[in-house]
Amino acid sequence: MDTNKNEIGEHIMVCLSPSPSNRNIIMIGAQMAKAFDGSFTALYVDTNTELSKEDNARLKEHIKLAESYGAVVETTYGDDVSVQIAEYARIAGVTKIVIGRSNVRKRHLWSKPTLVDRLLKLALDVNIHIIPDSGAKEKYANRIRRAISGGVSVKDVLVTGIVLVLATLVGFLFQEFGFINANIITIYLLGMLMVSILTKGWICNLLGAIASVLAFNYFFVGPKFTFMVYDKGYPVTFLIMFFTSLLTGTLMSKIKHQSKESAKSAFRNKVLFETNQLLQKAVTDEEILQGTAKQLQILLNRTIHVYISGENRMLPIAVGQNEYVAIDDNEAEIVQWVFTNNKRAGATTGVFSEAEGLYLAVRTGNAVHGVVGIDIGKNPPEMFEYSMVLSVLGECALAMENNRNSKEKEEIALLAKSEQLRADLLRSISHDLRTPLTSISGNANNLLYNYSRMDEELREQIFKDIYDDSMWLINVVENLLAVTRIDNGQIRLNISTELVDEIISEAISHAKRISNTHHFDVQTEDGIILVDVDGRLIVQVMINLLDNAIKYTPNDATICVKAGIADDMAQIQVIDDGPGIPKESKPYIFDMFYTVNSGVADSRRSLGLGLSLCKSIVQAHNGTIMLEDNEPHGCIFTIRLPIGKVKDYEQNTDFGC
Amino acid sequence: MNKIQILVVEDDAPIRNLITTTLKINEYQSITAMSGAAALMEITSHNPDIVLLDLGLPDIDGIEIIKKIREWSNLPIIVISARSDDRDKVEALDAGADDYLTKPFSVEELLARIRVMQRRIALMQESTPGNSVFTNGALKIDYAAGTVYLQDIEVHLTPIEYKLLCLLAQNIGKVLTHTFIMQNVWGASWENDVASLRVFMATLRKKIEKSPDGPQYIQTHVGIGYRMLKIEG
Repeated sequence: MDTNKNEIGEHIMVCLSPSPSNRNIIMIGAQMAKAFDGSFTALYVDTNTELSKEDNARLKEHIKLAESYGAVVETTYGDDVSVQIAEYARIAGVTKIVIGRSNVRKRHLWSKPTLVDRLLKLALDVNIHIIPDSGAKEKYANRIRRAISGGVSVKDVLVTGIVLVLATLVGFLFQEFGFINANIITIYLLGMLMVSILTKGWICNLLGAIASVLAFNYFFVGPKFTFMVYDKGYPVTFLIMFFTSLLTGTLMSKIKHQSKESAKSAFRNKVLFETNQLLQKAVTDEEILQGTAKQLQILLNRTIHVYISGENRMLPIAVGQNEYVAIDDNEAEIVQWVFTNNKRAGATTGVFSEAEGLYLAVRTGNAVHGVVGIDIGKNPPEMFEYSMVLSVLGECALAMENNRNSKEKEEIALLAKSEQLRADLLRSISHDLRTPLTSISGNANNLLYNYSRMDEELREQIFKDIYDDSMWLINVVENLLAVTRIDNGQIRLNISTELVDEIISEAISHAKRISNTHHFDVQTEDGIILVDVDGRLIVQVMINLLDNAIKYTPNDATICVKAGIADDMAQIQVIDDGPGIPKESKPYIFDMFYTVNSGVADSRRSLGLGLSLCKSIVQAHNGTIMLEDNEPHGCIFTIRLPIGKVKDYEQNTDFGC
Repeated sequence: MNKIQILVVEDDAPIRNLITTTLKINEYQSITAMSGAAALMEITSHNPDIVLLDLGLPDIDGIEIIKKIREWSNLPIIVISARSDDRDKVEALDAGADDYLTKPFSVEELLARIRVMQRRIALMQESTPGNSVFTNGALKIDYAAGTVYLQDIEVHLTPIEYKLLCLLAQNIGKVLTHTFIMQNVWGASWENDVASLRVFMATLRKKIEKSPDGPQYIQTHVGIGYRMLKIEG
């Protein structure tokens, strides 16, 4: 949930209640918030009293109304409404509270000072606006009626009766033993304590208290078996007894309520804490939604369906331990509706209210990340559950948004890096191309204007130089084209199954064009070897390796190419007997732009692109490339690539045709 | 034999000059065209023996020109492509071209390709209908009997290998794409599995190309297809 603190401006708060007049209060609060351009909060204090079905429904309506005015709905729990309101107002920086006049009236004969008085005491710098509301009297009467009708069950009355009877019997026993009446009073007190533990509501406590006094009077106080008393002191005893039992009873119920509430509160906190932990650990959107759904399931003990938004549709995700139960098309439509309209729908809402489930959007602001469906069935969730669901969903949405943001950041960083790489590459290439181009154009120019002045040998040398330079340029261009396929740090591969023999022979035919004086020795073992590769790229790798071997060996040297299988992979080796790579250079040769100044007479300029490109390509195929020394000198470049798979093919049976 | 006339269709002047010069030095006749439309006109009016077609022409797509030519003529077409990926070459071959060159190409390559086409022409003119025996160097195929001989010793081939060999022989000198081969040997029902084709081709070659120094009957074009070459002598 967005924080609703408006540091500079006003913060208006209304209190939500099931009373019909609450609507008016909410609307007035909203108007006030708009007029002052301040933030608007609607607070519901859950005192854990049972609400009737209509009250529950009305309360939910009021919540929705408040939300429609842009209010942030908060729930707090406690016995004392005014304390809760004051606390919240203090913490949240509320500047104005709007309450109805009915809240001002005293609720019971024995209640403490009015809500307003206490609020004023507790929240000193808050303006309290009291709105007249008409339904107050009615509400009071309803409350009494409800208290009387709702609070008593037959079972409770029976229990009270039994306890009383038992107490009376024990009393008789005490009388037999000759105990004084004081002991019998204590038995009745004990009985009332039991009643308050075993029954619900305060009616039974009250009845029990009255009944125990009467019983004590009737059975144990002279004259016995009458309701009259001789002793003047006894009426006082009766009164004290009555109040004691009533008080203990009431205290008992309070304690019960408190403990139930703490248990709920502890449970709620545990779930929220766990959710928090879970969401922090989750990495993908799916994990987040799944975790949320699992927590909701634990919380509500209902079936949860979860949908993640993808490609403009909702995709279901399986939830926790439960197998994913497919919902029918109607419900699926509702999911789509929620996703598109960013509003909740389904059972207990205004939209699609006949549906099986309640569908809530997981959203931050206007972006919907997913939809959670809660199976409502026959019993709608309580306020307490409902507000927790909203909290959990809020966390879920935040987690998803964080996830998205960090992913975006990563992508941007990666993009920036690869752009940097390309810029470096282009710069380096442009510089390095100048040299061969200078020599080609210069040589051609010389030939153009000075041909006759040159002797045959010189001319041949110049022609050869032009030729060599252009061959070098051709290879660089091929490498560059391969590099352009490195997109975002990844090489786009067109994979097909190729024969190692064919790759080698194509590479060698290229190599023969570079040098027609070198010898190439091809050895293939282990039969037919297939690899799943991008043919063009791997041929380019081979050409680069052969080119290197040619560059660093004398003109009539032999370069050996071996192919075979090693460690379950296809292996190709290019072996030359040139000077080899010096030890200092070995760790760096596969780095981009690194060149080795080998001091060989025919040392050609090298872009240093070839080997690093080879490494990138081979690794993109999940292969390896490495360099070893040849004895007595030279290099062995070894490439390993995953072996290609062939679907079943015709058995090679040898029958003559 | 060198009275062969070659049509060079290329809009880039230096390349065009390079090719025509090379041809002239090697005693081929040549005519030129700088656009697709002009090329078609030249073919119909002068009836060249071979066409060198650049795929990057300004007016008509090279593939279209090939299809048009193939409507009435079987003359050998060699396409020249500047792209390094193989798609446009495969497309050209499937449309009816016989061979391809990739820029930059060397003069030797150009001449080699032309020689292959020459032999193809010669063979096409030689082969009379009903000629049931095919000879290429030491390789002999007796279509009627369905047997294959290498230096007069019978070679045992599986049915698939035999079909492959026959297909290559019947299209000698022409580069056949993987798709073309698979369609003609396996039919449309076989799923496109180039890997299997490679394996078959490899085993076939092991049987007819016994030694690495011996003649290479089947030429591989990585990423494109295969071709059978006419062996001299």
